[in-house]
Amino acid sequence: MAMQQSTSSRSARITLRRDKGRLMQEAAMLAPAIILLTVFLIVPFLLSFWTAMTNQPLVPRPTPVRFVWFNNFIRTFQDDLFWTALWNVSRFTFWIIPAQCGLAFATALLLHQKLPFRNLLRGMFFLPAITSMVVVCVIWGTLFQYPTGPFNQILGFLSGGAIQPIDWLGDPEWAMFSIVLLSAWQAYGFQMIVYLAGLQGIPDELYDAAKIDGANAFRRFWHVTMPGLRPTHVFVLVITTIQAFKLYTQVAILTQGGPKSSTETVVHYMVRAGFEEQKMGYASAVSVILFVIVLIIALIQRQLLRRFDV
Amino acid sequence: MSDIALSIPQARVARPRSAARVLRIVQTVSIFIIALVIVSPLLLLVVASLKDDRFQILADMGSFRAFWVSKPTLSNYAEVGHLSGELAFGRYLINSLIILITTVCSGLIVNSMAGFVLAWGSLKGRAVILSIVIALYVIPQESIIMPLVMMVSRAGMADTFAVQIVPWVASPLYIFLFYQFFTQLPKELLEAAEMDGASFFRAYRSIFLPLSLPALATVSILMGIETWNQYLWPILVTQTDYARPIAVAIATFFGQDSIYWDRAMAASVLMMIPILGLYLVFQRWFVSSFIGSAVKG
Repeated sequence: MAMQQSTSSRSARITLRRDKGRLMQEAAMLAPAIILLTVFLIVPFLLSFWTAMTNQPLVPRPTPVRFVWFNNFIRTFQDDLFWTALWNVSRFTFWIIPAQCGLAFATALLLHQKLPFRNLLRGMFFLPAITSMVVVCVIWGTLFQYPTGPFNQILGFLSGGAIQPIDWLGDPEWAMFSIVLLSAWQAYGFQMIVYLAGLQGIPDELYDAAKIDGANAFRRFWHVTMPGLRPTHVFVLVITTIQAFKLYTQVAILTQGGPKSSTETVVHYMVRAGFEEQKMGYASAVSVILFVIVLIIALIQRQLLRRFDV
Repeated sequence: MSDIALSIPQARVARPRSAARVLRIVQTVSIFIIALVIVSPLLLLVVASLKDDRFQILADMGSFRAFWVSKPTLSNYAEVGHLSGELAFGRYLINSLIILITTVCSGLIVNSMAGFVLAWGSLKGRAVILSIVIALYVIPQESIIMPLVMMVSRAGMADTFAVQIVPWVASPLYIFLFYQFFTQLPKELLEAAEMDGASFFRAYRSIFLPLSLPALATVSILMGIETWNQYLWPILVTQTDYARPIAVAIATFFGQDSIYWDRAMAASVLMMIPILGLYLVFQRWFVSSFIGSAVKG
């Protein structure tokens, strides 16, 4: 009895010591991520709220930084250009969702079948997604050339010369639409992968059961595939919307927000305020507004997913 | 179904089967045609980069000659491949490769370790840390970039390689992806390893990590694409050639008044090669279902 007790207490001591060593190891393994996330994500994030309420310049000046409360936010909301930027990204979102999600969904449906060379095809369809936006801009910059670029040539040829050449990136009526085209082409690949995952998640038995019930291909699509993909649809929609509100690179390279501010975006507006006008406080206020927009979209997604997930 | 098919004499099956085969071929060919249309801008890029005359490139663009080069030449690549001087895209490419390899390798280690502890550790507060990590995922890079630029320039990190690597190594998304992957592996693996006297870290390194090839490949591809295509951050923190990545260099070159399309195209192809290589190497283990389930969580 006594011996039993002593061995059990010894083994308890050993487990305790081992547990302590194990906890140390766990802490050490977790530490790099925690430290990096704190320094480079949490601190700048909190700092952005503080900076947004000051008149902080980009380059430190001898005059002390003043606390200006919500002045930066008020001035942002009073600036017509900010509302133009917000309106532009909303227009962009409105067009990019059918274009990008539609393309992603269609290609995912094509690739989900049993096909020869499936991996090769999947690689081909994914190719635009791994292409850097800068490279995409070089390519589409040539495609959009006015008046003799490929798109204008093709349109002229197809219409027998009835359609006049379009100044894709130089015409305020067309510039945002052109940005939509190249953005959809570049980014649909990821959504395609998400849709493929969603399609794989629908059990085959459902299709078999529908077949036995005599449902044709269209009804199987409408009554099995579509309901099965509901959470995927929500997710893809939300991701596309968030991406759309962060629109920057292609606009910065191809149009610099022009012509006539028709492609000005929230992030482009923010970067200009911060680095061209050197008003860090003001730019931080815009970044806080951007965060709030993204947060609202993400919260809507959570609500919708909760409703759809069984 | 197969039982019924077997009981039917072969001759009677032959006709519908060949009809199905024709249908299958038609279907495959049309999907290939769609795929070709989708990738045609990239074909155009590669073909144009092999043409010598920059005016000819634009003149050819409107016709099918855009997809054909009669006298392919690598002269454009020779012009942009320099390691120093004016068109030092060779150097920018090496800069980008340094940033890519360092970021992805350290990212795999840091994020997988954190994901492993969150999945199987016994540290108190794991659940809280996990929910904080998930919450942090909402913060877009664009909305922390202003204070971050000020922070790194005050710390004297501006215009270095480190400033392009260190801030993006740890990522809520990839920690969560690893966490999710590890929780799907059986816990008995860890218990058995610890029974045999292996430490927690040892179990992670020798048992769980070798089993997580799909996760490692997926994160490599996603993180590689993200790092390689960074634009906003490097354009704000690099001022000289020293650590300038190729994306910024191409965009700057492209923004000049008279565009040398031939050179821009060659530099663009150069930029595509490494990331294409990364994708081809890891594609075999690139598990789409894994991304789908993780991003939904």
